[in-house]
Amino acid sequence: MNRRDWLTILALAAIAVLGAGNASAQDKTIKIGALFPTSGPGSYFGAQDKQGVELALEELNKAGVNGYKFTVQYEDSACSPLPASQAAKRLLDQYKPDVIIGEECSDATLAIMPIIEQAKTPMINAGSSALKITDPGNPYTFRIMPNEVMQGVDIATNAYNKLNARTAVLLNENTNAGIGNAKVFKDTFEKLGGKVVAEIGFGRDVNDFTSIATRVAGVGKVDVIPTYTLEGQGLKITQALAQAGVVKGGGGAAIQLGTIWLPFGFEQKAGKAATGYVRIVQFDPTDQRDIVKNFVKNFKTKFNADPTHLNAHAYDQIMLIADVVKRGGKDAQSIRDTLAQTKSFVGVTGSVEFDKNNQNTKMDTIHYMETKPDLTWNALKWN
Amino acid sequence: MTATIVAQQAINGIVLGSLYVLVALGLTLIYGVLVQINFAHADFVTLGAFAAYFFMHTLGGSYLASVGAALIVGTVLGWAVNVAIFAPLRQKGSELLPLIATIGVSVMLQNAMLAWFGPVPYAFETPYSQRVFRVAGTFFTLQSVVIVVVSTGTIALLYAFMRFTFLGKALRAVAQDRETAGLMGINPNYLIMLTIVISSALAGMGGAMLAPVLVLTPFAGASVIVKAFAIVIIGGFGNVEGTIIAGLLVGLIESFTTQYLDPGWIDIVVFGLLLVMLAFRPTGLISERREENV
Repeated sequence: MNRRDWLTILALAAIAVLGAGNASAQDKTIKIGALFPTSGPGSYFGAQDKQGVELALEELNKAGVNGYKFTVQYEDSACSPLPASQAAKRLLDQYKPDVIIGEECSDATLAIMPIIEQAKTPMINAGSSALKITDPGNPYTFRIMPNEVMQGVDIATNAYNKLNARTAVLLNENTNAGIGNAKVFKDTFEKLGGKVVAEIGFGRDVNDFTSIATRVAGVGKVDVIPTYTLEGQGLKITQALAQAGVVKGGGGAAIQLGTIWLPFGFEQKAGKAATGYVRIVQFDPTDQRDIVKNFVKNFKTKFNADPTHLNAHAYDQIMLIADVVKRGGKDAQSIRDTLAQTKSFVGVTGSVEFDKNNQNTKMDTIHYMETKPDLTWNALKWN
Repeated sequence: MTATIVAQQAINGIVLGSLYVLVALGLTLIYGVLVQINFAHADFVTLGAFAAYFFMHTLGGSYLASVGAALIVGTVLGWAVNVAIFAPLRQKGSELLPLIATIGVSVMLQNAMLAWFGPVPYAFETPYSQRVFRVAGTFFTLQSVVIVVVSTGTIALLYAFMRFTFLGKALRAVAQDRETAGLMGINPNYLIMLTIVISSALAGMGGAMLAPVLVLTPFAGASVIVKAFAIVIIGGFGNVEGTIIAGLLVGLIESFTTQYLDPGWIDIVVFGLLLVMLAFRPTGLISERREENV
């Protein structure tokens, strides 16, 4: 072997070593599995969540975090237990994520939870409100929004104290979240001295709400109508209640109360019927913090639209993962352990501090908005 | 108060029932002539709804013109699907293949609409839905009046077509006995195509009428089609008069169940009635001989 051969071998060895080093740097990737509904009546959640995720990834992957880049794999969990479980299994078997974000609908989230616990992969949830998700929950499920009890108690208390409501009619879809939210409102409102004069549950296949509005109109004086449903049915309910002359938007006296389930732009779609509607949102676009102003600006630049709370909470889910990686998380178990120690994460929706059940205890993620006659919002600043 | 509520729920039920009739009539026609169930009917309804939406909101047409546009879209869709898919499969002599093809067309259309129109619900407002009349304690919108008038007019036209025109009589002849009708000089393939076209035109128009009531997404039609199938069965397979009565009946059942029981009971009552009909009167409300149907 002559000198030239030795040089060639050395050069190849160097390339191999450098290549291995490069591969190792490229391998430093945090794999995020996203279980979002992209079909069925809740598919608007998935469409908007994806935008928030994409913006966050674009910002993070410019420089990476602690040498890690972030990738995401989406699966359609359809806002429903069976497809959600199948999607979760598919994701875990094929993609083997370090962390999962999703689902939005409580029934679907509850179905996924035992699967991710068995796989020992942490999941960050931002949209499901059912109490059972974190009470008792499981060690691998984290929720960054207030649960149904925290939300329901808050809404009922504000309805009684701030709106001076004494009578209510509850309208809810017949799902875990719909029934659970309505029950918490009822328990709190009645404990304070209010009276629930009717409770009306309905399936997701109901289209025409004129009959339900007729029934509400027939129960007598109603101060507030807490409504727990997805956007499509929510629109029809609001319009039917206005046509029946029950709510302020139709010349009546009752105030409809809504949840974070409704996306931004709901009022513009519902039209004048939405006047006087009071609802909680998970993101206040008028918030003057720099983090929010930057998010709004970057989102507008990328998507040529104003961000919604769904965009915002999906963005926060990714940013929380980045925060965890910054604090040392690098694989499923260390991400879970570091997530559990989160005390002071600040996102665009609000802040996060997990309790022993992995439930965010901060209430600054809830913002109350009232719809004005021109369909813009009046921030009520109740929290 | 009680009388007012009863009157109000009766109005609500008739309006809703009129919409169901529009959707169910197309299913009845196809079953009556082809003895076939069209699982893609729901998606023809949805496409009609979207056609009306975009005609009105993008092209700036009036609502009534958008109903016409949806009818045309339904007609063209029915013709295209028949020529491209159903007719070739029928020629192979299998009854099962076209039935399976309707499922394929349904899934394909649903996903195509999801890709084109997205998953976010559309708000289909018409000038008529904002106009509310309040009479003797009851209320109804101008949209409700339009729904009832258009449905009644359509039913009357369809009935007149089937009873008094040559083509209508020929359709009934094909429904009675396809082979004999062929021997009498009637072209069954042409009339089958005509049936599918009329049925999908009705679905398109039904979609335009339903759009302001429905939660308009690519899955909108699916939410009413199960009830439409129930109406076809309760009314008597392929029987137009039975379908009309059953449609109105189901609309009224929905309204009064909501008022006096709970909306969660609607499907229990409607499908309970369906099972009772199947058990005790399987021919449906109007029990004519099958050859008299359509």
